[in-house]
Amino acid sequence: MNALEVKGLTKVYPEFTLDKVSFCVPKGHISGLIGRNGAGKSTTIKGILRLIATEGDVAVFGRDIIKDERVVKQMIGYVGGGFRYYPMNTLAAIRKAYSPFYPTWNQGKYEKLLVQFDLSERKKVKELSEGMKVKFALALALSHGAKLLIMDEPTSGLDPLSREEFCDIILQLVREEGVSVLFSTHITSDLMRISDDIVYISQGKILVACPLKELLDKYKLAHFSSLADATASKAIGVKAVKEGYEGLLPRDTQISTNVAVTDTTIDHIIVHLERANEEERYAEFN
Amino acid sequence: MLNLIKKEIALCMHPTAFIFLFLAVLVFVPNYPYEVIFFFSCLSVFFCCMMTRENGDIAFSCALPVKKEHIPLAKMLVVFGLQGIILLLVGIIGAVKGAVLPAEQYVNQAGISANLALVGNGAVLLGVFNLIFFPRYFKSPDKIGVPFVIGAVAVFLLIGIFIVLRWATPLYSVTLNGLNSVNTGAKAAALIIGVVIYIILSAISCKLSMRHFQRYDA
Repeated sequence: MNALEVKGLTKVYPEFTLDKVSFCVPKGHISGLIGRNGAGKSTTIKGILRLIATEGDVAVFGRDIIKDERVVKQMIGYVGGGFRYYPMNTLAAIRKAYSPFYPTWNQGKYEKLLVQFDLSERKKVKELSEGMKVKFALALALSHGAKLLIMDEPTSGLDPLSREEFCDIILQLVREEGVSVLFSTHITSDLMRISDDIVYISQGKILVACPLKELLDKYKLAHFSSLADATASKAIGVKAVKEGYEGLLPRDTQISTNVAVTDTTIDHIIVHLERANEEERYAEFN
Repeated sequence: MLNLIKKEIALCMHPTAFIFLFLAVLVFVPNYPYEVIFFFSCLSVFFCCMMTRENGDIAFSCALPVKKEHIPLAKMLVVFGLQGIILLLVGIIGAVKGAVLPAEQYVNQAGISANLALVGNGAVLLGVFNLIFFPRYFKSPDKIGVPFVIGAVAVFLLIGIFIVLRWATPLYSVTLNGLNSVNTGAKAAALIIGVVIYIILSAISCKLSMRHFQRYDA
């Protein structure tokens, strides 16, 4: 069963269109939503949560979010970039207003998380650092027994140690409690470490939605000495680098001996696919 | 819904929402257009909406396990509660004034006396404000100024009309003016009519606001 199924999610703005976005997050998986700034990651997450009015279907554990909005949202733990709400209120006041919405609220677990995250409920939101705000949002989301965590760039603004700690917590949740996770990020090293699947969005369209391993196995990174070699090899998204040119090649492509080949990372794939996309659009424009 | 209302009171109420309730004592001020008291109630709604925006409350609320259309409804129900309290306070304090002050001091040269008919007038004012302000506000809760200015202008126009009626028509200057103990039936009827108008206008306002908010992108 899929924890999250998104079908044909569409949102039209005057200058941007989220175009029939479809993907799923299998139960117990961590899916990373990646793409450059303005690609539509946050719009997708807002559309899933009905923060914005969209067309298309969203189902969480098989239940339609429009038909069962209240029940479905109780299964979801949402963590925005940080906790940007009620800066003048104390964490205690916010928790008191927030917890009654969740019949499954676990005060013991919440208090344990506060200790783990070194958070004091007496503090006001404005007194928290960015990292602390993310941790507070996470503590709220985890304390009501969410089955699906949806996070919009939760690791942005966190120092490397806090990011490591965050990744550990997510992995622990998935392993011990079977939680499913969808999170958007720019920090692909976090994805390499914890994600099972990748959803790659560009210009409001899904380019890739597959297991991470499958994506990494799909391409290899080729290093060319000249642009002519790269063009001849039909490399994808060729760009100049310090020593020659780089481009992606499908894994099964036969290559000449003077081309050096290495494994790809998510960063390489994003950079070269985006470049190929840009070239395509430029060609269409002309 | 109850949880949303509690959250509103705990996190979104500006102190003026409660402080302005005490302005009901302005009915003791001699020769004052008492309908203005109800404008302060409208002003406190404006401050609460500002607080909602500064706190990012709409986005926070939309992520909670509630129906989206219940978010404006909860906010409006809290405001209706506060409006009910100010109407009640003006009625009670007006009656106290009538009981403790000599009859000649009860006469108001700037408008209608602080009696049941004034509460009816106040209900009409608040109903009109609700109908004008909330549906516009919930189209885009980030923009509070224009809906409030339109609502406030309508309220002051209506206050002006009530003051003119006080001097131009026998109904307002005689029948509905003065102590509650005089022409009690007519004043009670004015109160009931005002409350009915308030309920109808506020209900329409709720319907429109909920519909507009469904299309809002948080």
